[in-house]
Amino acid sequence: MTKAVSPLGEAWGQFLRNKPAVAGLALLIVIVGFVLYGHFLFNADPYRIVWGPLTAPGEREGIPLGTDFLGRDIFVLLLKGGGPTMAVGLSAALLTVVIGIAMGALAGYFGGWVDDLLMRLTEFFQVLPALLFAMVLVTLFAPSLVTISFAIGIVSWPGTARLTRAEFLRIRELEYVTAARSIGAGNSRIIWKVILPNALPPLIVSAALTVGVAILFEAGLSFLGLGDPNTISWGQMIGQNRNFLLEAWWPVAIPGLAIFFTVFAVSLVGDGLNDAFNPKLRSR
Amino acid sequence: MTTPLLSARKLEVSFEIGRKGFFGKPRLLRAVRGVDFDLMPGRTLGLVGESGSGKTTTAMAAIRLAPSTGGSVSFEGTDLMTLPAEAMRAQRKHLQVIFQDPYSSLNPRERVGAIVREPLDLMNVGDPAGRDDRVRELFGLVGLRPDQMSLFPHQFSGGQRQRISIARALATNPRLIVCDEPVSALDVAIQAQILNLLRRLQDEFGLSYLFISHDLGVVQFICDDIAVMYLGEIVEYADRPTLFSKPRHPYTAVLLEAAPSLLRRKSAGYRRAGMVKGDLPSPMNLPKGCAFASRCPKAQERCRAEAPVLRDVGDSRVACHFPLD
Amino acid sequence: MSPLMSLSDLRVEFDTRHGRVTALSGISLDVMPGETLGIVGESGCGKSITALAMMGLIPNPPGHVTGGVIEFDGEDITRASNRRLRQLRGRDIAMIFQEPMTSLNPVFTVGDQIAEAILLHQDMSRAEADRQVIELLETVGIPEPEARAKSYPHQLSGGMRQRVMIAMAISCRPKLLIADEPTTALDVTVQAQIFDLMRDIQAKFGVAIVLITHDMGAIAEMTDRVAVMYAGRVIEQGTSDQILDTPLHPYTRGLIGCIPVLGRAAASTDRLPPLAEIPGVVPPLHLLGDGCAFAERCALADDHCRAVRPPLDDKGHPVACHHAGEIA
Repeated sequence: MTKAVSPLGEAWGQFLRNKPAVAGLALLIVIVGFVLYGHFLFNADPYRIVWGPLTAPGEREGIPLGTDFLGRDIFVLLLKGGGPTMAVGLSAALLTVVIGIAMGALAGYFGGWVDDLLMRLTEFFQVLPALLFAMVLVTLFAPSLVTISFAIGIVSWPGTARLTRAEFLRIRELEYVTAARSIGAGNSRIIWKVILPNALPPLIVSAALTVGVAILFEAGLSFLGLGDPNTISWGQMIGQNRNFLLEAWWPVAIPGLAIFFTVFAVSLVGDGLNDAFNPKLRSR
Repeated sequence: MTTPLLSARKLEVSFEIGRKGFFGKPRLLRAVRGVDFDLMPGRTLGLVGESGSGKTTTAMAAIRLAPSTGGSVSFEGTDLMTLPAEAMRAQRKHLQVIFQDPYSSLNPRERVGAIVREPLDLMNVGDPAGRDDRVRELFGLVGLRPDQMSLFPHQFSGGQRQRISIARALATNPRLIVCDEPVSALDVAIQAQILNLLRRLQDEFGLSYLFISHDLGVVQFICDDIAVMYLGEIVEYADRPTLFSKPRHPYTAVLLEAAPSLLRRKSAGYRRAGMVKGDLPSPMNLPKGCAFASRCPKAQERCRAEAPVLRDVGDSRVACHFPLD
Repeated sequence: MSPLMSLSDLRVEFDTRHGRVTALSGISLDVMPGETLGIVGESGCGKSITALAMMGLIPNPPGHVTGGVIEFDGEDITRASNRRLRQLRGRDIAMIFQEPMTSLNPVFTVGDQIAEAILLHQDMSRAEADRQVIELLETVGIPEPEARAKSYPHQLSGGMRQRVMIAMAISCRPKLLIADEPTTALDVTVQAQIFDLMRDIQAKFGVAIVLITHDMGAIAEMTDRVAVMYAGRVIEQGTSDQILDTPLHPYTRGLIGCIPVLGRAAASTDRLPPLAEIPGVVPPLHLLGDGCAFAERCALADDHCRAVRPPLDDKGHPVACHHAGEIA
C-alpha cells in the first residue's frame, strides 16, 4: 500500500535535503534557545553595573563580552535584549501577514471594484517612506514594543498583499476552484479553505523573510532613539553605545553581530522554504 | 414525447473587455450567441467545436458556473437563471461536473477521500457516519481501491485522477453530469478506459451527460445527439447517425474531413478534399452575415449579407443558406 | 539506398532522484531519404528523447548517450564536435516543436527570426535573406507575406506561428525534418492545414520527415513507416499498413483498438461497442525489471514474459514479443 505523502510533507523532505537551510534552522534554534532559556543559566540583572564602563571583552574574568558605556555586562544585556527583539520581529511579521493576506485575498478573489479600492489603498501605503512613517507613528503613540510592532506591521504589509493577490488571481482560475463551486461551496469556504492553503507556500517564505526585515527595522528605530525606553533590545544597545564607538567598538559590534546572525539564519530558512516549495527546482 | 432534463433557450454570454477611452462604451465579446438545446434524460448531448466556439462557456453558463447575460435554462422544469442563490446551491446536488484537466481539478492539499466526500458534506447527503461507506463504494465504482482514499492527488496518474473526479461527481447521485473534455488530456489507452467507464456508469445510473469535446471520434463513440458550435452559435444539431453520415453544414463537413482517421492512408494516396483556409475571425468583430462565410468553401453573396438561422433540413437542424445534400 | 538517418543500438540514460534510469535502450531506426517515419507511443515512452537524440540535443546533464551510434548521411554525430553539430542543425536537420508560441522569440518580428536562421547557415546579404523570407512565408501559405514578416509572434494565431516555424525549418532546405507533436496544441482544422502543408513540402523538396505523435490517425494519414515505442524501446516496426492492419504486438493492437475510429459505422443507429482497453499505466522507468516492460498490462503475459525480455525479431515484420500475433 502506498503511503500518503502530503504536499507539505514532501516540501519538508525537500527542505531537509538543503544543507544551508538546515544550517540556518540549527543556528536559529540555538539563538532562540539562548534568548529564551539563557537566563536560567545566567540569572543576573542586566541593569546592574558590574565593572567600569567600556571594559573590553576578556579583559576581566566573568565578563566575557565586556561592558557597555554604563559598565553593564554586555553578555547579560544580549540575553535580555534578544527576547524583545524577536518578539517585535515576530509580531510585526504576523501583523504584516494577517493584513496582507486579508487585503490580497479579498482583492484577488472578488476583483472588480473591491480589487481597485484595496489595491489603491495598498499602493498608498507602499509609496509612503516606510522608516519616516514608522517614526511618525511611534512618536505619536509613545514608543513601546506594541506601538513599534504595530508601526512596522503597518508599513510592511503591502508586499504581502500584492503577493497574496497574485496567487489568488492565479489559483481562482484553476478547475478545482470551479469544482468546489459546482459542489455548492460558498465564497468564504473557497477563499479560506480552498485557495488560501494553496497560496500559502510563497506567503510562508515571505513571512519568514519579513521577520528578518522587522528585526532590522526595530534596530533602526532603536538606533534613532525611538525604541521602547523601558525594555532592552539589541537595536537599542547599538543606539545607546554609538556615541562611544570611537573609544570602544564592542558594545556596538556585539549586538550588531547578534542581529546579523539572527537575520542571516532567518534568511537561510526562508530561502530553503522557497526552494522546497518551488517544484521547478526539485530534482526529478 | 418525454420532456427534456435540461433545456436552454436563447442563451447568451458576453464578456466586457476594456472600454474605448476612459468614459467610452464597454466593448463586448459575445462568447455565446443565442444557443438553444435540449438534453433528454438518459442521453448524451455533445457540444462540439474548436477553441473559441464557446462550447465550454455554453455548458458552464447553462448550469450557472459562469454568468450568462441572457436567455433561460430549465432543469426539470425549474428555471435555473432566476433561482435564488441558496436554491441554486441545493440544485447542485443534481448537476455535477467532470473537468478537463486532471491535474488542476483536484485540490492538491486535500486527501482524495476527503475530495470525494466533500459534496456529501456540503449538500448534507445521508448521515455523516454513512458517508465514509459511500465514499468507499464510489471508489469501487470508478475502479480505485478504498485503501487509496488517504493519498493526495499528486500520488495518482492522470487517468486515476480523472476517476477521482468522476467519483466526486457521482457522490450526490446527480441526474446530469457536465463532462468538459474529460479525456482530452489523457493518453489514448487511458482515454478508452475513461470513456468505457463513463458509458458503463450512464447505463447503471441512468445519467445524462452534457459532453463537451473537440474530438469527433470521441463524440461519435459516446454521444447520442450532437450540436456543432462555431463562434458562439450552434450551426448544426442532429442525432449521431444523421450527423456523421450526412453532415449538412459545410463546417461540420470540414471538421469531419479534418479529423485524422485510421481509415485514411498515405499508402492509398489519401489527399484531403478542400480544407478551410485561414483562421477564426475575431469574436470582437463579427461579420454581418454568416460567421463561417469568410472560410466557407461554398460561401456566396447572400451568406455575407444575411446571417442564417437554425432550421430543419432533413433530420437535422442547420444554420446555413446552402446546406449540403 | 542507404538511410539518411540511422540509429543503431542507441542507449540514453538520465540522472534522476531515483538514480540513473535508462530512457532509451537499444533503439535501432532508419530514416530513408524522402520518406516519412512515424514514431508513436504514450507519454513517457521515449519518443521525444529519440527526436532530441537525432538532433544531438540530449540535455547533458542530466542526460548521457551511453552507447550506440547516430549516423546522419554516413557521419556519426555522437562523435561530432559541437561546432559541427551546430552546422548540421538547422541546415541539414531541422526541427519543429509542439508549442509554436514558446519556440519563437517574442521580442523580434517573425521576418527577423527567419532571416536570422538563413544568415546563420548561408552566405548572403541581409536584403537577399529578406527576399527569401517573403518567398518562404508564401511557400508555407501565409497570406500577405510582406506584412506578416513584420508581425511579432503574439500577433499571429497558433496555426500561423506553426507555419512560421515550418518556414524557418525549411529555410536551408534540410534533408531531414523532425516534427515533435507539431499539431497537438492546434485545433483540428488547423492541424489538417499543417499536415497538408507538411505533405506539400515533402513533395516539393523531397525532405525526409520524422513525425513524433501519439495519434494513430496522424500515423495513418502521414507516414510510410512506423516504429511503435514502449518504455524506451522500439517494440514493433513496419510499414504503416502492416502496423495498422496486421499489428503483432499486443500493445500495438491495444493502441489501435482503443481509438474511437471516426467514420466506422457512422450511419449505424446502434450503440458502438465498448473500446478495447489497455489496463494500468506505463511503468516508471526506474521500476523496469528484466522481463517485458509491457507484461503487467498484457493479457497474454506468462512467466517467461516476466523473466525474459523479448528481442525485436522479424515475424512478418520486426516485433518484440514472445506471443506475437497470438490472440488473448
